[in-house]
Amino acid sequence: MAKVGVYVCHCGSNIAGVIDVAAVRDFAETLPDVVIARKDLFMCSDSGQEMVKQDVRNGVVDRVVVAACTPRTHEPIFRAAIEKAGLNKYLFEMANIRDQGSWVHGHDHEGATEKAKKIVASAVGKARNLEPLEDKFVPVTDAALVIGAGIGGISAALALANMGHKTYLVEKRPSIGGVMAQLDKTFPTNDCSACILTPMMVEAYNHPNIETMTYAEVDDVEGYIGNFKAKIRHKQTYIDWSKCTGCGDCASKCPSKTPDEFNAGLSDRRAAYIMFPQAVPKKAVVDIEHCINCAGREIGTLPKINEKTGRPILAPCERACQAEAINRSIAHNPDGTIREIEIGSIVVATGYQVMDKGWFKEMAPASPNVITALQLERIISATGPTEGKLLRPSDKEKPHTITFVSCMGSRDEHFHTYCSRFCCMYMIKQARLIKEKYPDMVINMHFIDVRAAGKGYDEYYTGARKMGINFFKGKVGGLEMLPADKLRVLAYDMESATSIEYESDLVVLATAVELPPDATALAQKLGLQFCGSHFFRELHPKLGPVETATEGLFLAGCCQGPKDIPDTVAQAKGAAAAAAMPLAQGRVKIEPIISEVYSEMCSGCGICVPLCPYHAISMKTIADRPRAQIEMSACKGCGVCTSACPSGAIVLHGYEESQIFAQIAALTA
Amino acid sequence: MNIDQTKIDEAVSTIIGHGGHGILKCVQCGACSAVCPGVRAGFSLLCRNLIRHLLNGQLEEIIEDSSSWGCQACNRCTEVCPQGVRPQEVVFAFRRYQANELAFSTSSITSQMNLFETGHAVYADPREARKKVGLPETTPTSAFDDKAKSEIQALINNSPMGELGLF
Repeated sequence: MAKVGVYVCHCGSNIAGVIDVAAVRDFAETLPDVVIARKDLFMCSDSGQEMVKQDVRNGVVDRVVVAACTPRTHEPIFRAAIEKAGLNKYLFEMANIRDQGSWVHGHDHEGATEKAKKIVASAVGKARNLEPLEDKFVPVTDAALVIGAGIGGISAALALANMGHKTYLVEKRPSIGGVMAQLDKTFPTNDCSACILTPMMVEAYNHPNIETMTYAEVDDVEGYIGNFKAKIRHKQTYIDWSKCTGCGDCASKCPSKTPDEFNAGLSDRRAAYIMFPQAVPKKAVVDIEHCINCAGREIGTLPKINEKTGRPILAPCERACQAEAINRSIAHNPDGTIREIEIGSIVVATGYQVMDKGWFKEMAPASPNVITALQLERIISATGPTEGKLLRPSDKEKPHTITFVSCMGSRDEHFHTYCSRFCCMYMIKQARLIKEKYPDMVINMHFIDVRAAGKGYDEYYTGARKMGINFFKGKVGGLEMLPADKLRVLAYDMESATSIEYESDLVVLATAVELPPDATALAQKLGLQFCGSHFFRELHPKLGPVETATEGLFLAGCCQGPKDIPDTVAQAKGAAAAAAMPLAQGRVKIEPIISEVYSEMCSGCGICVPLCPYHAISMKTIADRPRAQIEMSACKGCGVCTSACPSGAIVLHGYEESQIFAQIAALTA
Repeated sequence: MNIDQTKIDEAVSTIIGHGGHGILKCVQCGACSAVCPGVRAGFSLLCRNLIRHLLNGQLEEIIEDSSSWGCQACNRCTEVCPQGVRPQEVVFAFRRYQANELAFSTSSITSQMNLFETGHAVYADPREARKKVGLPETTPTSAFDDKAKSEIQALINNSPMGELGLF
């Protein structure tokens, strides 16, 4: 006979504000096999846990039911408590009377109390039938994968590498650096972005524990914490990087032009190109989509021979390359090459993109003088298309009046309801940098409100006011194109409740931060989930900000939500520490709540094999015939095979038939 | 100004009751007022500022203000509003409240009368101008069609407008 103890939690007023906790406790006492029922203000507190431990130690109970909040956060706490008191930790069941009771039935105290009783009865039903289970352990591969090499990915990789772990750093672009490499200066200290980033890029690239793979993407990931296998696709560069010296001669001879992504489309690059002068690694690639196949010669075909000289007629890029790194006669595989790596944990730091101005039809997107803030960043950057001179795109003239427009696509139910968080600050930074250089420039900034929460941020903002930059509270409603490439700004001053209308030479839109479209495919490969704002979902918004629902998979930077450089670096270092935990421990625990095949009952039909989402089931010949077998370390305990097995040969430990039927019986009593 | 929750609740429920369902979604960004031709013409209690006063509970205090009748119903506010407030609906809801309390601006009474008498809210006698350019003097509209006029009057008399007793 089981001796079940039931412990009902008030959770302050979270539960007790709606549910009659005393009544639930009284009811629990009447349930079969329940030997004791208690209640406490906070069961998870030290005294609450101690109450359970005492009852276990004294031999009063040998099964524990806590009726409280969600097992997602609190099951591990109570399991640890009863284990400490000497009971097998899987002899524990949680009744979630908060999320499934008080929180959803706040208007109906009586009904919520009745429902809580049912939930408790169901948990007791299961607890009576629980069996002790043992944790299992498997060894880990001491290596990490960091996906994305912006400032977040680089910071995470360096932290992992400095802790002594082999780290693979994968970046889809030809160079590491991310968006930060495109920035001019950084708030609130106006450090030059390149000056603080480039040394980190070089350090990461040369670190003995870091293997950097650029122009590469994650093709597939399988496995589980401690033992992931990833397929990394090295995209085809069409240039032999072992020979490329990064001189850039191929780019200077290539005749094909296409908008330069690094300059946010403000200038052109060639089809053969080096991403930017400070690229790491400084290697050229041929962007085959924009290659015009000079002289009609497809890549992978032999050149024509000059009849007079008898020499081959090479393409301009081939001819320019002194290092002989370009050979267009080779039949390069357009899919590139796949490399398989084994790692124990993964940090995803794939970053963000900003919305295109084309979305905002009321903001005269057709005007070349309406630009995104990232484009302005390139204009004022010394490595940008104007070498740092502030010239407006339409006529390359210096503007006299500049307008900054906040919240384009952020805090807007038509696009994104969230705040993009760092636009206020970078707009103020851009305005300050311009005002410092050109004190006569008229700079008008329009905000719904200025969000400057951060160390030194508000001082940076009030400093901008003192510099003579004009701030207006009120969202800009529209722009109109005027002759001479000017723009009419339709704005509003909330404080004086008057409309504002003036002509501006250049308008900068702070467009929203969002995930790039290829993030969806990556999420599918990795098993990442999305949050309501369509960023990658962390395990817990407060207590699990770098973890995900998949163990061994961690998040850092803007792919988890908009954040500035200091926050990204902090989160990246946190993610690195979390990712290092299984590597440092050398082994990972496999929870015993997984499925097992009773092979004597297995008919060998094989239905379970394709159903398993984790490819954990295979057919092995045992005695006379093939029978299903489950790889313990790959099983996640989802139970699909258990419910599908026509012979009832698969058991899911912790959710056995007797336990589930006892729950159903209690709920339908 | 004193913050009186009873007055705020009353103002909000009055506006919602008259069709301004989105009023509580307003975050006071001001985009509506930036594009509003009425605000630009000097009607300051429109859009953002009207909603602010209503959310302050100042419904009765602004009942005689004529700004709401300056709304041209262009609906640009609705287009640019990032929160789905539909500010024009709030302005119209406030107008309905004003009308029910007989707090019309004189400019609006003229158009109500025009509507009742000719079937056009904005009306000018067209006969002379049409004659000048060689068109038939009368238009094929309610203004010169007694049957249509009487139907319109019947409609108005049987609508909430009729209950105001203006006609």
